[in-house]
Amino acid sequence: MFEVLIDQFWSLTLAGISLGFIYVLVSLGYTMVYGVLRMINFANSEIFMWGTFGTIITSRDIFGYTQTSAPATGGKLALVLISQLIMSMAVAGLTAIFVEYVAYRRLRAKGTNRLATLISAIGISIVLSELMRLLTDSRPVGSPRVLEKIILTEVWGANIRLDTIVTIFAAALIYFLLERFVQLSRMGKAIRAVSMNEDAAKLMGVNLNRVITTTFLVGGLATGAAAFFYITVFEYSKFNIGFTMGMAAFTAAVLGGIGNIRGAFYGGLFLGLLEVYASAVLGTQWKAVTVFIVLVLVLLFKPNGLFGEAVQTTRA
Amino acid sequence: MKKRIQISLAIATALAITLTGCSSSDDAAENTFTIAYQGPLSGGEASTGTDEQNAVKYAIELFMEANPEYTIELVSVDDQGDPAVASTVAPGTAANEKILGIVGPAYSGATIASLPFYKDGGLVMISPSATRVSITDPATPDFGGPVFHRVVGKDDKQGPALAKYATDGVANAKVFVVDDQSSYAVPLREYVEAGLKSVAGASLVGGDSVINTATDYAPTIAKIKTSGANVVIYTGYYSAAAIFVKQLRDSGSKAVFAGGDGVFNQEFPKLAGAAAEDSRITGVGGLAGISADLEADFQEKMGVSSGVYSVESFDAANILLEGIKAGNTTRETMLAWVKAYEGTSVSGNTIKFDENGDISYGLFAGFTTKDGVLVNTGIIK
Repeated sequence: MFEVLIDQFWSLTLAGISLGFIYVLVSLGYTMVYGVLRMINFANSEIFMWGTFGTIITSRDIFGYTQTSAPATGGKLALVLISQLIMSMAVAGLTAIFVEYVAYRRLRAKGTNRLATLISAIGISIVLSELMRLLTDSRPVGSPRVLEKIILTEVWGANIRLDTIVTIFAAALIYFLLERFVQLSRMGKAIRAVSMNEDAAKLMGVNLNRVITTTFLVGGLATGAAAFFYITVFEYSKFNIGFTMGMAAFTAAVLGGIGNIRGAFYGGLFLGLLEVYASAVLGTQWKAVTVFIVLVLVLLFKPNGLFGEAVQTTRA
Repeated sequence: MKKRIQISLAIATALAITLTGCSSSDDAAENTFTIAYQGPLSGGEASTGTDEQNAVKYAIELFMEANPEYTIELVSVDDQGDPAVASTVAPGTAANEKILGIVGPAYSGATIASLPFYKDGGLVMISPSATRVSITDPATPDFGGPVFHRVVGKDDKQGPALAKYATDGVANAKVFVVDDQSSYAVPLREYVEAGLKSVAGASLVGGDSVINTATDYAPTIAKIKTSGANVVIYTGYYSAAAIFVKQLRDSGSKAVFAGGDGVFNQEFPKLAGAAAEDSRITGVGGLAGISADLEADFQEKMGVSSGVYSVESFDAANILLEGIKAGNTTRETMLAWVKAYEGTSVSGNTIKFDENGDISYGLFAGFTTKDGVLVNTGIIK
């Protein structure tokens, strides 16, 4: 039962960490919005999906890569990857702002109850995914390989691959930058102020609408970055990939304590590792079962997630 | 705004009534007949349904060109390939008395969900791609007789063919089989594993079951490496197969990658790129494999290339169209016509259904990826 885990431990661990970092960034999209609005942004999964297409379009249509062209090298490689990252973040960020304008802002101004915005968010996520379905004729879209998946070295029997390393370090860096932004910048402070007490923040002169738009933007940027890494690793997208990713990232956010940026970090990594270990030990068909049993157990003992509401100051 | 909608609806209804009124008095209307296509036309599996329906449309177009006195109408029934959706659209299809026969449903699960309604309506079905064995097995509750027929081979023929093709020429083949948890892939995996027993020198070393929405195959690949497998057979569909084979190759594995007709789609090498090279896929030859002229004509008329199950869909539509031409213009006579049908497939095989609705042939061809295209290597014997 454990022979695969023992035999391939470091390969699995690396795969789990890189998957985990993708979860971390997507779950930021959920956790940021929840922290400020106390509402789940159900459209975040589709924001992610749109980001993946932004990444693919950059390499395929702007730089003209095809499935058969050779991967980029040197300066060109850096240029293409950074353009893809920027494009993906821009597409996802703008989609997030669009979602906020259409599904949240007006209803919020009218003072509707939370369920109305919940439905409008689900509605816009269906619109986003069906629109992409129509644009792509329901077909899956492969991404040309830009970053060659060279095996750099072998450590303890595990292949250390370039794309895994890039994903882990770049995603960690982006997470760190976003976290610092929320902690240190003036806007970040405003976001946290609104999160702690909306009315008090308003009385202190915080522009609520701008804070909320920025929150959506930051969540969207993180999700867009995740979409870029996802494409770099898996090289594949389809109009319906958002659902599975959204489910996983939302689970990660709840596991870590939704509304808490650090919670998203630990929740994402924990989930990534849990998924690969559970699949290796019990069989992939047990992955979802194991993940949700663990989630229920965690919530049973820590109802607010691993980091929950206890860490007020780090909350988004 | 509301008023305007109401007015336009009223006009549309009036027009519709006038038009139907006109056409029923028209001479041509006596030669207007309706058949249906059922399959996934929207949702995640829509490409299969669209490909099949295009072949049906093509058959209708050729028929109307050759027989200008007939007008054939096609009703598109979209079941999204999903049994739950099928059970909501099938009653309406069964109740539409104009429909003389159905090409489809495309998928086995949707077929089983639709069956009770079509049995009640006495509506004959010819599926181009529902391969689950139980549908033509009278001993199971899924049995589709007397209305169900198919012009595609069953999975109990495909499984052993796939096992044989995947291990062909591999000395001391150690096989690892992966399914995608779908009702198509799980039984096919069982038939593959059963078929492996009769392949000399081959042994089954492991397996895994990965849901088809997954994109991370790292745990499965870890298992493959631990098992020491040199042949990996995937029984799910092409889009997941493409993700899987890429990750398998990126991990440094050189094992033979093989798949069933779910992987049989030219999108597979397009999605997987170089990783798909030399993959071994069982499938059914397309129109292009039969004649380049036929494919060229198809492309000209339909504006796209022929896709998966185009031969089967084309054959199925032709059986119904020939039936209409032979004067079988009620559901009852059409069902009898199909049951007694004997004709030639565009592939050259003789189509004749046995008492459970299966055709006599159903040989699977082996395909391998060469330079990004699936190339037919001939029937697997």
